[in-house]
Amino acid sequence: MRRATNDPWQLRYLFIGTLFGFVLIFLVFPVVVILVEALRNGVGFYFSTLASSHSLNAIRLTLLVALAVVPLNTVFGVCAAWTVTHFKFRGKALLISLIEIPLWVSPVIGGLVFALIFGRQGWLGSWLDAHNIQIMFAYPGIVLGTAFVTFPFVARGLIPLMQAQGSMEEEAALTLGANGWQLFWRVTFPKIKWGILYGMILCNARAMGEFGAVSVLAGSVDSNMTMPLQVELYYQDLDQGLPRAFALASVLLVLAGITLAIKIGLEWRRLVLAVRSH
Amino acid sequence: MSVAVTHISKRFETFPALRDVSLEVETGELLALLGPSGSGKTTLLRVIAGLEIPDTGRVTFAGEDVTDKSAYERRAGFVFQAYALFQHMNVYENIAFGLRVLPRRKRPSEATITQRVTELLELIQLEEHGKRLPSQLSGGQRQRVALARALAIEPRVLLLDEPFGALDARVRKDLRKWLREFHDRTHLTTLFVTHDQDEAFELADRVVIFNEGRIQQIGVPAELRKNPRNDFVRAFLEV
Amino acid sequence: MSAIASLPEADASVPVEIDPGPSAPILPNTGRRQRHILPGFRLTLGFTLFYLSAIVLLPLLALLLKTVTPTTDYPSIAKVVGHVIDVATDVRALDSYRLSFGIAFAAALLNGFFGFIAAWALTRYRFPGRKIVDALVDLPFAMPTAVAGLALTQVFSIHGGYIGQVLYAWFGWRIAYTSWGILIAMTFIGFPFVVRTLQPVMSDLAVEVEEAAACLGANRWQTFRRVILPAVRPALLTGVMLAFGRGVGEYGSVVFISTMIPYSTEITPQLIIIKLGEFDYVGAAGLGLVMLLMSFAIVATVNLVQYLAARRKGIA
Repeated sequence: MRRATNDPWQLRYLFIGTLFGFVLIFLVFPVVVILVEALRNGVGFYFSTLASSHSLNAIRLTLLVALAVVPLNTVFGVCAAWTVTHFKFRGKALLISLIEIPLWVSPVIGGLVFALIFGRQGWLGSWLDAHNIQIMFAYPGIVLGTAFVTFPFVARGLIPLMQAQGSMEEEAALTLGANGWQLFWRVTFPKIKWGILYGMILCNARAMGEFGAVSVLAGSVDSNMTMPLQVELYYQDLDQGLPRAFALASVLLVLAGITLAIKIGLEWRRLVLAVRSH
Repeated sequence: MSVAVTHISKRFETFPALRDVSLEVETGELLALLGPSGSGKTTLLRVIAGLEIPDTGRVTFAGEDVTDKSAYERRAGFVFQAYALFQHMNVYENIAFGLRVLPRRKRPSEATITQRVTELLELIQLEEHGKRLPSQLSGGQRQRVALARALAIEPRVLLLDEPFGALDARVRKDLRKWLREFHDRTHLTTLFVTHDQDEAFELADRVVIFNEGRIQQIGVPAELRKNPRNDFVRAFLEV
Repeated sequence: MSAIASLPEADASVPVEIDPGPSAPILPNTGRRQRHILPGFRLTLGFTLFYLSAIVLLPLLALLLKTVTPTTDYPSIAKVVGHVIDVATDVRALDSYRLSFGIAFAAALLNGFFGFIAAWALTRYRFPGRKIVDALVDLPFAMPTAVAGLALTQVFSIHGGYIGQVLYAWFGWRIAYTSWGILIAMTFIGFPFVVRTLQPVMSDLAVEVEEAAACLGANRWQTFRRVILPAVRPALLTGVMLAFGRGVGEYGSVVFISTMIPYSTEITPQLIIIKLGEFDYVGAAGLGLVMLLMSFAIVATVNLVQYLAARRKGIA
């Protein structure tokens, strides 16, 4: 913690005041408003909204999408981190940059690209039609778009972690006779498991909250409404829709809160361990 | 088991770490690789272990060509300069690791593993520390665990990379004595890398002097002192 | 990111060319040489490349190809590219760029300003609730964009919004459902980028350097301008660019807080969706390409800033 030795107290109060003001207006009020509006029509209305078939389907679909996307991106992230950390090859920096592309690109593009491949007028559109396979406006499409948007999260957390850890323990294990799988499970995995968890919860939060890509890929088909899309649907329903939107949004908010809590917990733990080992 | 390397060369990017190095180590010998940093001695050790692939040349163990065998297949016990202990495993598990990862057919029973690890713990005088984590040990203790871990797989050759470098003087002296006694007892072919001349001369049967990726001279300590072959050796030993 | 390479220390007196020596037969290497020490190279690299191509590279390629491939509606390459240019330079598209990029830029500047203050206060001052505020900074990261959009709309709405009502009553200002609403949404989204990029740099600033400046007679403002600001400038730039990139691509929160009126409050991602709905895939792809190019320009700028900063420090 740094000593604020030199800043005049007026400046300090101004800065802290501005910070609090900003945080209040932009961060605290939105959270409060969601909770207040969700309960505006009473607790009964709140729970009946959540129990309605629309909401339940939305929750179910969101969970199913996350269930597909998070493991896939996690396996990829671990693979990519292993490749980048333990081997020397040309184009490593390029590979890392390519992996980060989805972070820079609008989520709508994430949906657009798959629409261009699997949509009716897309590259594979007529072939899919002929074989009666539904990707666009269906679960597989939504999974693909969400996978695109959340693609780098696990890899991005693991690569710097594993690079900092180095290859020495793995080399030692190699001289002791361990094969590839033993190396990974016995030596590497215990070192990175918290890093994996960290990446997974970020990936999960983003996957469940994804809106742009899913808007494109879900169309307006009822059964394709994930939670964020259902929130929008409720919002557009001028008859009693608004409190319903807030009710469902509060579920997502709770999810965000849990994500934040785990994230902070992991970061605090990392800090504590770093201090202790010195 | 004897070890031989013939015409080993290795470069990293543009840096030539080893230039046409050939060496024969006799069975049961305790050999020191001595030289300034960057002279190639650690690289040669890693080549012998299988942790680096030479650009040219062959490595043989007891006459058998192992150049294309991976580190995993060579059964060379390697002790890293920075110990490379498995941080999340306790001392017992670290030492037992090599036994646990053996293929199922060759893997010894749990009881056998316990027996072997206990023997090794006694050997390195850390019987009470089996449950401790590496982070809870001192430098000298970690070094001994690294040694025991390498010995657990009953290696044919023991390779030590600056084993006592990071330790303070008294611990270093004790471990040196320990290593010499251990070697006298077991006659395990041992190579160790050091930049400390006194250490090399005190411990080793023969000393190999490196500079700039080449072997400058090989011989028993007394011989090296009496007949340095070139200016470098003369200057190096004088200091 | 530093690469791990077990290089021995290069001795400056070592000549660079390899000297083969008097007689050095290069013995042939029989048998298969393993290329890497640790196992799994082909497996992991293979899967990495496969998955990367399947999810990211090939789809992006499809986007690119769509802008130059003839279709039934546009039977020649010239016609296709012509249509792409038409859509991409149409007034409606240009208005959407102005909005998307313009407001995102304004939001990024706002975030630069507030983010700097926030990072400064968080790293240098102690005050009650500091840890909580620090945690809250990550909220826009964790919160789904739709939820953020919904909430911000309500807060700034003139009917019953905590702030919207007040501002309308006092000044007659409308925020929600106007371009100002879009600005608010993009500011919310981009805030953590600036703060989190600045914090590590600010906390790394050695106190001694500032104290030295003070001893040499610099007052607080001079110390700030000559010592502190140059040190954090690259991070600030990077953070602002990151926030900008994020704002440009933002869709979820903006959908709620603006009315999406074409030519006035329509952002580019919205226009893309409309084009898709009209089955004008080529047009949509064209707009997507414009956005992609913008994204890459931002990435290139960020990399350039970081490269120049590293070079000044003598690292690169």
